Amino acid sequence: MKTLAITLVQVAFYIALARGADWLVGRLHLPIPGSIAGIAILFVSLKLGIVKLAWIERGASWLLGEMLLFFIPAAVGIVNYRSLVANSGWQIALTIVLSTAAVMACSGWIGERIAARRKEEAKEC
Amino acid sequence: MLSAAMWLLVTVVVYAAAKRIYRRYPKIYLTPLLVTPVVLIALLECSGVSFGTYDRGAGLLSDLVEPATIALAVTLYKHIDVLRKHAVAIAVGAGCGGVAAIVTSVCLARWFGLQPAVTDSLAPRSATTPIAISISRLIGGIPTVTAVATLITGLLGLVMGPLIVKGLRMQSPIGRGVLFGTSAHSAGISKALEYDPVTGSVASVAMMFTAFVTLCAAPWILSFLP
Repeated sequence: MKTLAITLVQVAFYIALARGADWLVGRLHLPIPGSIAGIAILFVSLKLGIVKLAWIERGASWLLGEMLLFFIPAAVGIVNYRSLVANSGWQIALTIVLSTAAVMACSGWIGERIAARRKEEAKEC
Repeated sequence: MLSAAMWLLVTVVVYAAAKRIYRRYPKIYLTPLLVTPVVLIALLECSGVSFGTYDRGAGLLSDLVEPATIALAVTLYKHIDVLRKHAVAIAVGAGCGGVAAIVTSVCLARWFGLQPAVTDSLAPRSATTPIAISISRLIGGIPTVTAVATLITGLLGLVMGPLIVKGLRMQSPIGRGVLFGTSAHSAGISKALEYDPVTGSVASVAMMFTAFVTLCAAPWILSFLP
């Protein structure tokens, strides 16, 4: 019961922070989403010790752990795009498959190369 | 009003059940990310309820997307040492991957003759869903199409990621982590954690980095591609 209350309060903190970040981005006319501003604000606050990890950690693990749930209504929204799926569904699917394969091969291969080279350098030293 | 609140409850229950089933039978086609929307769409179809009614209740869940995104700052804070140690590999790998995602999806989508709004919706697909949706809105895409495309990308990460790791004979947790985090956001992280914790934290950092790269590069690349 106590754990639940703590988690709820911490989740409320994130909701408040999200509203605050949205307000700030709108007020300053920044060309970035409020979520990015929120991440930056929270990260800096943690680094500077203004916010302690223990105060907000449980809320974060709940929000991140159940993240999938929050996208479900958006995914269900595809019912409003029936004709798009009927007319160009396979083109969209193929674009996603081929592009994702390219991203994987490219990022994985480059990451692997650089990591391997750094390892060799470390051995030589 | 009553029925709107009911749909919120139904969504949570179906999701909880799907999660339970997946824990018992961890098959890719049983992932809650796929099963929950399919079941809910079937329920809406059968009961003849419009998406508008559904979304009035269940849409409250969407309001938690932004707070959840901000919670990623905690992930970043916890894994900052991994980031510092492998900054170059993660930054270059995720940077190239993020740019490749935008360029290949825009080129392929145009080649297939998709409408501009759909092309713009597919471009930010590799970023984590909430950020992909924000970017989509910024560049003139359709947020729902982006949400679904990002979801499919995550599923593909689970299916194709391990095949590519094998195909490229990738040995290091760094390369694998960058691959999963860059290509398949949070779904990729969950897969990366199945290898080992280092792969998981590299994937987390790579996902954050990809989100930033996509945010900065997407509007710019789209304005350059004729």
